[in-house]
Amino acid sequence: MDIIRYILRRMVLSAFVVVGVTFLVFIVAQVVPSDPAALYAGPRPTAEQIEKARQELNLDAPLPARFVTFAQAMAAGDFGISYKSRRLIAEDLKAYLPATLELAVFSTGMALLFGVPLGVMAAARQGRWPDRLGSLGAIASVAMPTFFLAMLLQLVFAQWLGIMPLSGRISREIAISTPVPQATGFLLFDSLLAWRPDAFADAARHLVLPALTLASYPAGVAMRLTRSAMIEILERRHIAAARALGLPSGRILFGHALPNAMGPALTVIGLSFAYALTGAVLVEIIFAWPGLGRYVSEAILAKDFPVIAAVTMVVTVCYVAMNLIIDIAQALVDPRVALT
Amino acid sequence: MKRRDFLKTSALTALATAAASRWNLALAQGSGIFTLAYPTSFPDLDPATSFSNDGAVLANVYEGLTRYIPGTETEEARIEPLLAESWDVSADGLTWTFALRDGVKFHDGTPLTSEAVKGSIERTKKIGGGASFIWAPVASIETPEPLKVIFVLSEPQPLDLIASAGFAAWIQAPASLEQDNAWFNAGNDAGTGPFRISRYEPGQRAVLERVADYWGPVPEGAFQTVLFEIVEDTTLIQNMIEGGQADWTYSVPFENLEQLQANPDLRVVVNPSFETLFGLFNTRRAPLDRPKVRQALSMAFPYDDVIMAGTANLGTRAKGVVPAGIWGHDADAPIPQTDLEGAAALLAEEGVEGLELVMTYSTSQSLSATAGELWKANLEAIGVTLTLQPMAWEAQWQLAKSDPATAQDIFVFFWWPTYVTPYDYLFNCFHSEEQPLFNLAYYANPEFDAMIDEAARLSGVDRPRAEQMFIEAQRILIDEAVAVFMLDRPNVHIIRSDIKGYADNPAYGHVTFVNDMSR
Repeated sequence: MDIIRYILRRMVLSAFVVVGVTFLVFIVAQVVPSDPAALYAGPRPTAEQIEKARQELNLDAPLPARFVTFAQAMAAGDFGISYKSRRLIAEDLKAYLPATLELAVFSTGMALLFGVPLGVMAAARQGRWPDRLGSLGAIASVAMPTFFLAMLLQLVFAQWLGIMPLSGRISREIAISTPVPQATGFLLFDSLLAWRPDAFADAARHLVLPALTLASYPAGVAMRLTRSAMIEILERRHIAAARALGLPSGRILFGHALPNAMGPALTVIGLSFAYALTGAVLVEIIFAWPGLGRYVSEAILAKDFPVIAAVTMVVTVCYVAMNLIIDIAQALVDPRVALT
Repeated sequence: MKRRDFLKTSALTALATAAASRWNLALAQGSGIFTLAYPTSFPDLDPATSFSNDGAVLANVYEGLTRYIPGTETEEARIEPLLAESWDVSADGLTWTFALRDGVKFHDGTPLTSEAVKGSIERTKKIGGGASFIWAPVASIETPEPLKVIFVLSEPQPLDLIASAGFAAWIQAPASLEQDNAWFNAGNDAGTGPFRISRYEPGQRAVLERVADYWGPVPEGAFQTVLFEIVEDTTLIQNMIEGGQADWTYSVPFENLEQLQANPDLRVVVNPSFETLFGLFNTRRAPLDRPKVRQALSMAFPYDDVIMAGTANLGTRAKGVVPAGIWGHDADAPIPQTDLEGAAALLAEEGVEGLELVMTYSTSQSLSATAGELWKANLEAIGVTLTLQPMAWEAQWQLAKSDPATAQDIFVFFWWPTYVTPYDYLFNCFHSEEQPLFNLAYYANPEFDAMIDEAARLSGVDRPRAEQMFIEAQRILIDEAVAVFMLDRPNVHIIRSDIKGYADNPAYGHVTFVNDMSR
């Protein structure tokens, strides 16, 4: 029963976060000095075009009325059109969001895949060379600037060794001659749906380097957190008991100690995921990845408010949803969480 | 399956995939794909409202009535027939009659007619976005015959030039006239050009395929497919063009050009562009309201150093406002030379001391930053403090438009013409305005206004006289030093050496007409 109440409480809180962000986004847009009408009217507008745009956008209406219109549209999932390009923002999101989500999921998975086992290993061999080496690696992966790592990976794997593609989401041969029919926008998923193993392998290869770059930082953090949590757990009595009973060390580590130490690692997933959603602008630019970060950074420079608002909303919802899932997962893994 | 078998199978599959993709690449090059690495995305593919880099795509898909061919050292600039075969203008410059080319078909199979021309321009005017203002002088359009279209103007204007504009002048199929912006931006098109849009993936690429029955000449070995790859990172762009994954690009920093010039697989093509860089003085604020002070500041500008440091010596001195290659360019303009002593003397004569100025420019323009830094150093030597203020373009423009009293002292930006006429530069940047829009020098001179307005009226009927008047008008601007005319920017394009038939046309900035080319 406790867990259900806990989940409900988290959901209500999440709803408040989303509403709060909507309000904040609207207020910020009013404070920032810019002329949406001039932006909407195009790069070289005449005075008449700007005036016409002002009327079309209803910019002369009072502020509260405009907030109501804005909130209603957002609630209905109608993001409107970009002031700069006049394109439907929903259409743009359909193109950019799946690319970003794919990268975010993949890189978060990689971070866990590398970070957690290395952390466990380091804890098990505390103070010895696997620990030292792992810690050094963790520091390096956290300290290395992403843009530098991105270029390093490109140089080594794409240009010297030639085993990985340089950039993009899929090879241009596939994109031109035998494109994968778009169903969900998630290329890996779409290529499986259309049963195109060639496209699947190609898309997966394109994911590796950017995902690795993005995974570097959270993997390092996950490794450090898992290590310290594991060290603490390994000193507990139930582990000593398990050792005394002669259980195999693998089972002690992964079966008895790790579940107790998973909390911090799960938190890192949330952070890593959020970071990958919009913090990945540089990585997206360097790998020519058509993601949300690139899309919104252009909008920010142009003060294209509807795009900024839409992306903020989408990212908030994704982030809040992800956090909710993690909170629930943590409550399931560790029932003590739901009680606090 | 045993683990070892599984590993073996996966390794073989990976190898096979790699081999297949290499084979595909070879196949792709053989079948005539032209790849452009383009540093910006294509936000709007609607021919009525597009007014940005999307022109690079649309110019291969749509056509206008005429096309502008820039002047060279040996040849005068001219206007070529495109969808119009010929045209006439009445003596008063108010009635323009265009005879359309016979046998031209839109991509949906319907023929080009005068109704389609009328419908396209009326749609563009009605939506009123992008560069639609170029059609403002058109009062009505008549279609007496299927291949004859008559424009009646409210004032004399050079409609042949207007029709050659790089934006808003495209003719589209009648069936598409009712479509909205979203339809075009989903990757649909309705042009008459040599290519049609086959796929558009925002932020990634646009793929164009050749149409079967294009009306114009097609060279032997012409490309079947045009691929625009959107790549923002200049290092990646350079890798792609060097590695042969791209055939054309333009976004490589000037300092890297030497390396590319040494590469036998590449050709670095340098042409003049129609983009000119100037710094508009705030003529409403003391002491910049005095021409002599502005002249002194202009004399302190390091013209040659900026061309050398900022453009690897590829740029050219601006001769007033209108760049070379456009009629109305003043090759013998009395432009100031860098002269620090003269500048200091002039400032002393005017009694100006301890002058502090703020110059704004767009963050994305590294050339403006270079110009500012070098100018600042020179000005310091004569006791003037210049503060450089880079801003996002929207913010820079917003500040300048708001109130001249609190705005910048010097506004630096590029100007290029929407259609190729001196009037575009002179009217937009220097004609007096009630509300500042692009005349961000806030310059107001009735004599100058009257002169360029009259020249514009004459452009359609007496171009030599109009040209003379435009030159005289520019000399007023130089004499009064309304702006410091920094430089004309070079157009630098990098193409693979095996590409034939490439010609840059500065009237259509960074547009590549792929139909004329082959490998």
